[in-house]
Amino acid sequence: MSDAPFPDAPRIDAYDKVRGAVLFGADDARPDILHAALAIATIPKGRVISIDARAASAAPGIRLILTHENLGHVKSAGFLMAGGHGFQSLQPMISPAIAYRGQPIALVVADTLEKAIEAAALIQATYSTEPASVTLDAPGAETINQADTPLEKRFPEIIAGDADRAFAAAPVRIDACFTTAPQHHNPMELIATVAEWKDGKLIVHESTQNAEGLRHGLVAALGLTPDRVEIISPYVGGGFGQKYAMQMQTVLVAVAAQRLGRAIKLVVPRTQIFHDSSFRPAIRHRVRLGADRSGNMLAAIHEVDAQTSRHDLFPAQYAAVSSRLYGIKNFRGRERFVRTDVQTPGYMRAPFEHAACFALECCVDELAYGLGRDPVALRLANDTTTDAISKLPLSSRHLAECLRRGAERFGWSKRIMTPQSMRADDGSFIGWGVAIGAYPCFIAPAMARLRVTVEGGVFISIGTHEMGQGIRTALAGAVSRKLGVPAANVVAVIGDTRASPQHMTAGSWGTASAIPAAIEAADAILETLTKLSPSGPADRTPAEILKAEGRASLEVEVRTKAPGQPDEVYGRIAAGQLSFAGPVYPEFVTFSYSAHLVEVRVEPTTRRVRIPRVVSVIDCGRVISPRTAASQVRGGVVWGIGAALREASDVDPRYGGFLNSDLAEYVVPVNADIGCIEVEFIDKPDFKFNSAGVKGLGEISMVGVAPAIANAVYHATGRRVRNLPIRIEHLL
Amino acid sequence: MRPFTYTKPKSAADAVRAIAAAGPGARFLAGGTTLYDLMKLNVETPSSIIDINSLEGLSGFDTSSSSELVFGAMARMSDVADDGRLVRDYPALAESLWLAASPQLRNMASLGGNLLQRTRCAYFRGGEPFACNKRRPGSGCSAREGINRGHALLGGSNSCIAAYPGDWAVALSAFDAKVDILGPKGERTIALEDLYREPGATPHVETVLEFNELILRIRVPVTPLGRASTYHKIRDRESFAFALASAAVALQMDEDTVRDVRIAVGGVATRPWRARAAEQMVVGRALTAQAARAAGEAALQGAIVTRDNLFRKELGARTVADALMIAKQRAIRR
Amino acid sequence: MSYGRQSVQQTAPFLSSPAIADSGDLVARAVAILAEEADTWRARQATTRTFGVTGDPKAQSTTGGHPAHTISIRLTVNGTSHVLSLDPRSSLLDALREVLGLTGAKKGCDHGQCGACTVHLDGRGVLSCLTPAVQADGRHVTTIEGLSPPAGDLHPMQQAFIDHDALQCGYCTPGQIMAAVACVSEGHATSPDQIREYMSGNICRCGAYVGIVAAIQDAAPKMRRS
Repeated sequence: MSDAPFPDAPRIDAYDKVRGAVLFGADDARPDILHAALAIATIPKGRVISIDARAASAAPGIRLILTHENLGHVKSAGFLMAGGHGFQSLQPMISPAIAYRGQPIALVVADTLEKAIEAAALIQATYSTEPASVTLDAPGAETINQADTPLEKRFPEIIAGDADRAFAAAPVRIDACFTTAPQHHNPMELIATVAEWKDGKLIVHESTQNAEGLRHGLVAALGLTPDRVEIISPYVGGGFGQKYAMQMQTVLVAVAAQRLGRAIKLVVPRTQIFHDSSFRPAIRHRVRLGADRSGNMLAAIHEVDAQTSRHDLFPAQYAAVSSRLYGIKNFRGRERFVRTDVQTPGYMRAPFEHAACFALECCVDELAYGLGRDPVALRLANDTTTDAISKLPLSSRHLAECLRRGAERFGWSKRIMTPQSMRADDGSFIGWGVAIGAYPCFIAPAMARLRVTVEGGVFISIGTHEMGQGIRTALAGAVSRKLGVPAANVVAVIGDTRASPQHMTAGSWGTASAIPAAIEAADAILETLTKLSPSGPADRTPAEILKAEGRASLEVEVRTKAPGQPDEVYGRIAAGQLSFAGPVYPEFVTFSYSAHLVEVRVEPTTRRVRIPRVVSVIDCGRVISPRTAASQVRGGVVWGIGAALREASDVDPRYGGFLNSDLAEYVVPVNADIGCIEVEFIDKPDFKFNSAGVKGLGEISMVGVAPAIANAVYHATGRRVRNLPIRIEHLL
Repeated sequence: MRPFTYTKPKSAADAVRAIAAAGPGARFLAGGTTLYDLMKLNVETPSSIIDINSLEGLSGFDTSSSSELVFGAMARMSDVADDGRLVRDYPALAESLWLAASPQLRNMASLGGNLLQRTRCAYFRGGEPFACNKRRPGSGCSAREGINRGHALLGGSNSCIAAYPGDWAVALSAFDAKVDILGPKGERTIALEDLYREPGATPHVETVLEFNELILRIRVPVTPLGRASTYHKIRDRESFAFALASAAVALQMDEDTVRDVRIAVGGVATRPWRARAAEQMVVGRALTAQAARAAGEAALQGAIVTRDNLFRKELGARTVADALMIAKQRAIRR
Repeated sequence: MSYGRQSVQQTAPFLSSPAIADSGDLVARAVAILAEEADTWRARQATTRTFGVTGDPKAQSTTGGHPAHTISIRLTVNGTSHVLSLDPRSSLLDALREVLGLTGAKKGCDHGQCGACTVHLDGRGVLSCLTPAVQADGRHVTTIEGLSPPAGDLHPMQQAFIDHDALQCGYCTPGQIMAAVACVSEGHATSPDQIREYMSGNICRCGAYVGIVAAIQDAAPKMRRS
């Protein structure tokens, strides 16, 4: 295998996407499909006393109304992070209990979409209400230490040395509190389910990052066997973690489809999605950072309070990354849950790393200013090659190179450190900020089946999901290079339980899990072809060899897993159970790294913050598909801008739920918010980590952007804003 | 969405007759960007829709006359925003159009409909369980003790502090626009400023229009003030968002002194808000940064702030001040 | 089945075949899935759906005095004329997707807040989710499916989107492209800043904005030339 970098190549599915030829879950337009709509609870907590569906039933074209009274034998599929398959353990409509505003109380099925929506709006319910606590500070919210829960075993407290003593003794001490608002993924695709039963089999078209999990969630909820459920999700219209588990509506639509013997489509409206899928929880952090006067970081204490639901404990792993950004020998992390009356939060792009690095990197900037040291130089001085927690070596860490390349490209040396010292011609205050990021590198087991045919086709069947990150392109690129065939001839069958066991695609582990397996499968094909035809010219394509040998096709199967994993993990994938490992492996620890340098311009009077340029340099191991990887980084930077300056889900404690539940009031960046984003990759493979040398990219691309912006805002305004999002009112 | 009857008359007279016959549960449908949107939320539940997109003679506009600019109520925002004469001679009006919404929405939305757009208050739009006197009279106001960052500082009442979100009406207010209305009793003309009502005790009543009245056209007296004008809009992102604060300003300068000025503010009030006190502060005086600042503060005089919208008093004042300086630059360039 | 640029990548066939499910050969299933899906796509392009067609072009185009279950409209979509019998409440978006089977235009918000549903109505970019279908009566609609012929060359804007990777997940892409074409044809692509402003009505959560602006700058002169 050539060790050379991969060349630029088009996104393999772009041709279909620009023609609208790619079909997402709701793109089933067969004329006889029935349409569904949900009615939702309007109280923040309590119980449904009665549901009056008379007016709804009397509306024209209504085929079925499901409520908790007639849902039948449905069980909760359990919470995925507690061994189940759902985004939360609460399956709506099993019981009359209402845990949060927006929880579904009825599913209406009708001949047309308009009729279903009309009837759902006619559903009336009476409730008994209980007091609800919906924010971190609410009196009735319950705070518990993660260390005091069963989660301690899987997510032990991160401790190294004696951080409290070392901090108290440190000559320079930073002590700061930060908050980040709840946020919602809001991929462009609306959550949707198309379900039908054919010959006793449940077939579901629904965009998901976890086809196997969705399958087994339905199995658990409906008492089926896995061979009776198919999940088809070849394309996902944006995942970002929102689609990592079974959603709340799939079971309901499946039940309705069985009752009626018809295919049923439910498209969940945007406003309902805010309440019925996971989200980034509200978080409070306190970071204490101690250093000596030369800027060597001696101690760090990172304490986090993170929101969760009443019914599930969504694990907190913030300290796992803040402890590893630098070589800090004394570290203590403490994570607590705050149980509130909300749906269970979940993984939203860089779920812990974004917030943790925001808090720590703002403190590092404060440290730099406190010492009068350049922020880039200070970070370089605290680099490391060892994981401070496990004491194992890092399999690769090119963070210093990221910082140096980034600073050079950005022109950082021209920076005048004093805040408010750089002005533009229009009077705007220019701010330059820097921050780094780290993201753990996981690997999930993969089973790849590769077939080459005499017509020239190459088919790879593997467990992964395409949500725009470009895994199809990476698969095609990696396999095509190995086999010497055009990338367009390589077809991936993914996101489909009929094809291959489909482990969840999340945590940026998709490339590191699928690409080594694909490449090893290609190697196996080449080996087999060589055995078939040892004497032929070396540069024949597989098709030419097959033709010469009179064979129609050749197929191999390859399995790969993370370092240290036992073979039992392959059985886990087929059972829809989470099986990834990392970032601590038996002999090393692996992270991806980023350095982001940001220029902001703050209008002198109205204090609008603009970001004309960002330079991002990423260490993600070998880059398989440069074009899609660069887009991924730009997307991560846009997310960082949104997280830092735009996005917040508003909570009114009197009503619960999220008030700004649409795309006008939940402010995501638009095109005019984005300027120039320059991207560079170190592109040095990490062959200790896996045979392809690849590390994760999708989330590291966002980590560090928000603190770089906050640090730039400080440079422009002299104000440290520690609460995200940063808005005009913080700078007026 | 509730079912409705649908008709599409050919003339304004037919339209007015049709809505009178259909009764107060009926609505005119223009671009649909407000009405159809609110119907999907069940905030508007008309029993009858009278589509006015085929009405003859209402979709044109004329900026060539020497006495007044005439805009048909059914002219599209995008067409008017691109009019060369408007851009050159009344930039505040053109900017108030192209800074609004998105290009697609501007292709759909009518000038008349845009005047009548309704508040973005989440408690109004969100339906049950939110108490909202505008949507359901007498049910209370969720915003006063709730999340009110985007709510009005001027023109509110104990019953309602919902902000008027539009831009076009704010700019028109600065230019003494008039509105021609057709009703069962014939045509009448009112000042645009008199079209709107503050919520008072009846927030569900937003304009003086009867249900059976139709806006025919908007007329703006030609004025040299238009040339050095601007519409300055500050929002939570660079585009495709409503104003946190906005200001329409038009200036006529005599060297350094202000000969004449118009100031209207948007985003911060329950209706388009002409700031005459601010105008008084600058007319006849040199337009220094301090004078602009003082005018800005005067424009926000009487603002009643809430827990979350306090910053918009300061932001509003600065927006007016900035707009004055932008208009002054345009006056100097001419 | 062919490969290369003409190949249609794995997408979801909606007529699952038991024969596929029984096949023990995983990759044979893949071949069958692709063949079926390519057929579905080709079928979509070729046929006019007969669902919702009334035979009488003079059929009532208003509902008279009663809320009607259906109203008849005549609509030309991508050059083909249809007479449709629709629920008066139906949006143009839902009519295109659910009645005509043209699922290229996407529903991202259904309230005019994201642009994913952008189509051309009489040559102008509009949001089909906020356009009552009845308002499209007698008018011309162009969707992403009509931007280039099924087996022909791509529109310069489509090609530019590929070349500049102006997309990721692809969900907002049809709306982006329709808005981009309108941006150029409506005369608003004269500078990068103007393009950013005029494309701000199309949200891309994957964040492909930089590529989108580059694609439009690339395609605009090519569009003007042709």
